[in-house]
Amino acid sequence: MAKLFPGFVPLYKTASRLNARQTAPWIAIITLLCLTSFLAYAWIFPTLTDRQGLAATIGINPAFSLIFGPGHNLLTADGFNAWRSLALGSFFAGLMAIFIVVRETRAKEDSGEAEMVGSSVVGRYTQLAVGVGLAWASSVVLGIVTALSMIAVGGNLTSSLLLAAAFTASGMVFAGVAAITCQLGAYAGTASSMATTFLGACFLIRGYADTSPDTGWALWLTPLGWLQKIEPAGANRTWPVLMAVGLALVLVVIAGRLTSARDFARGMLPTRPGARRAKYVDNVFGLALRLQKSPIATWTIAFMLLGTVFGFLISALGTVFSQNAQIAKLLAAGGAQADPVFEFISTILKILGIIAAVYGVGVMMRLYKEEMEVRVDPILAGAVRRPKLYLSHVLIALIGPALALIISGSMMALVAHFKGVDINSWQIIEQAVIEIPAVWVLIGLSIAMIGARPPVRLGAWLAIVMAFVLTIFGPMFKLWDWVQGISPLWHVPNVAAVAPDWIGLLWLGLVLIFLLVAGFSGFARRDIAIV
Amino acid sequence: MAAPDLVIDIRNLTKRFEDTLALDNLTMSLRRGEVLGFLGPNGAGKSTAIRVILGLLRADSGSVKLLGGNPWNEVATLHRRLAYVPGDVSLWPALSGGEAIDLLGNLRGGLDEKRRAELVEKFELDTAKKGRTYSKGNRQKVAVIAALCSNVELLLLDEPTSGLDPLMEAVFREEILKEKAKGRSILLSSHIMSEVEALADRVCIIRAGRIIQTGTLDEMRSRTRTNITATLKRLPTEIHAQPGVHDYSLLGHRLSCSVDAEHLDAFMTVLARHGIETLISEPPSLEELFLSQYDDTAKQAA
Repeated sequence: MAKLFPGFVPLYKTASRLNARQTAPWIAIITLLCLTSFLAYAWIFPTLTDRQGLAATIGINPAFSLIFGPGHNLLTADGFNAWRSLALGSFFAGLMAIFIVVRETRAKEDSGEAEMVGSSVVGRYTQLAVGVGLAWASSVVLGIVTALSMIAVGGNLTSSLLLAAAFTASGMVFAGVAAITCQLGAYAGTASSMATTFLGACFLIRGYADTSPDTGWALWLTPLGWLQKIEPAGANRTWPVLMAVGLALVLVVIAGRLTSARDFARGMLPTRPGARRAKYVDNVFGLALRLQKSPIATWTIAFMLLGTVFGFLISALGTVFSQNAQIAKLLAAGGAQADPVFEFISTILKILGIIAAVYGVGVMMRLYKEEMEVRVDPILAGAVRRPKLYLSHVLIALIGPALALIISGSMMALVAHFKGVDINSWQIIEQAVIEIPAVWVLIGLSIAMIGARPPVRLGAWLAIVMAFVLTIFGPMFKLWDWVQGISPLWHVPNVAAVAPDWIGLLWLGLVLIFLLVAGFSGFARRDIAIV
Repeated sequence: MAAPDLVIDIRNLTKRFEDTLALDNLTMSLRRGEVLGFLGPNGAGKSTAIRVILGLLRADSGSVKLLGGNPWNEVATLHRRLAYVPGDVSLWPALSGGEAIDLLGNLRGGLDEKRRAELVEKFELDTAKKGRTYSKGNRQKVAVIAALCSNVELLLLDEPTSGLDPLMEAVFREEILKEKAKGRSILLSSHIMSEVEALADRVCIIRAGRIIQTGTLDEMRSRTRTNITATLKRLPTEIHAQPGVHDYSLLGHRLSCSVDAEHLDAFMTVLARHGIETLISEPPSLEELFLSQYDDTAKQAA
């Protein structure tokens, strides 16, 4: 190692110490995901009848296959856990690996740290090797921790090991993807958004292939699809793991080739010189737009695509549903009063709403990053009142996701309409619109936290995770209404229902106002970050 | 007695961060039309004081008046009348230097186009480059140009020349003198003594969050020691025992020492009795002044 990558050992040691604290939460989340399935399974589905009911529900609800893929052997805790954790866990493992690689390589070039390090006895490929090495090591640790915890709560040895191996393999592959995008992007931010977009696309393709009839071949297009073919607790295949690890190796070798073909701290994709004079960036609103330009563009396009894809999915499912009366009956028995297709649409829109909240919270987090990098000082040293500066980003954080949601709802409606789905297309858009207040409450949390108490800002991400868990598992685990009601999305009425209950929106509005007031008054009052 | 026209008037300002006392009963003022050198070791509280003046930090106690108003409440009106150059300029990575200058100028309520063009040329800044590709010195230039091209009454400069090359440093001094001639008030925090010496009317020295010394350079000098080197006809015996004499050394007939200001008169009388052949008396340099201030208070603190 020392010969191939001079300076690897000391660099790796320092980096891994700092990395542990940032990686631990990811490992904890994925481990929790697995452990809770075991606990929930025993607790909520104690009898065989319960389990058969569960298997039937999972088998027919397309929203489930979209997120989790098909279930295998759902009459065992291992099967249930594999269904629940494989896709999501692999997704999170990929995210974790991407963030580690970008943080350790490209971000350090941007901050100048890598230059200092690079001037010492360090080889050309060493810093990339440290980043990838760290991500791979973290993926392996993730695998070991999850495997041991699953076995500890009574998981089957083979299926637990294979499921854990899927997480590790996903981490390794996406570390390789990030290693490549780090060579392409001009900034760390570009590199990580390219890699996460790729990960998101892989997840989406896999979900589509799992949900839509006759598209199983598409699973081959993405490494996440390969991992699905492991079928832990079912077929228990090993080769998909090996295939993914092989891909990871190839990706990293390509990244190594690219790294020697580019200049330090510059991506391979060229950047254009800037304008000599400011056009629209001559006030706080223009600046906020400019700073948030690429996330706005990326997310808007992503939502357009998501809407389109889901539109096709609805069309495909609409046909299946209308031909199968039993599915309709089963779905209706599961608490759905409305049309099963619309029930599915409403679930999809809730998931889109949660993704939109990620977009909005990301916008607010970017403002906080600006503050930490001392770029808020010079603005506030101008004739700018704090609420105005805060508003410039809050507006983007609220309007951006709302527009994205409407756009993707409209795309869904449009595609569904032209594919001749028997559903009122306007209602899809309407449903998307009335969901906005709930999404705003999730974003409002980050507005309140960053405004008033930035040290607790990560709570905003936690709230999103919570909303997701409650939305997806709340009904399945038959949680009490007051627990499900913690998620703002639970209060959104279904426009296709016989008598939609609009009072929930009023509550959401009140909470939102409270959060906004807390955020704005907090930001006006507190010290601007000391660094 | 009419109070002097104070642009900045800080009294008993205290600011605490968690467990550290950043500003400890700080009292200082900037008079209209003067350049005040703001000196102090790293971490003494210079930037914290400036950030309170800018309303970025809230004072725990004490009063701060900026241009006659309250810097915490009247941000928008007061900031139209001042410009700020931070010590460590962090530019927006994706914005060009030209865009940053326009933005900062406009946020302040507009900039003087003629002056902008003139400054860009004088500081030889390539305004099309993106923020992250600038070197430290060039980032500093962007902030300095943005500050100087607006018509404001007050300039708050926090180590404005760190990173500038000597040529640009000279341009900077020239421009500051021009601003001063226009009657602007300037708070200049700096570690470069020659810069302070060349520009400042008065200086104040901050240490551990307190102002420990304020005055004109002459006043400060008169409060400290004078360095004396003399060649004497008759070998001195009792001189080192004179009050106020420090760092005494005698090499052959050549004597050198430093003498406290208040004992200088008596010392010279004694010296004259030994027959002075040559005499060099030097006021302390600003560096020495600075070092002695830090040293003294460090000893006091200990």
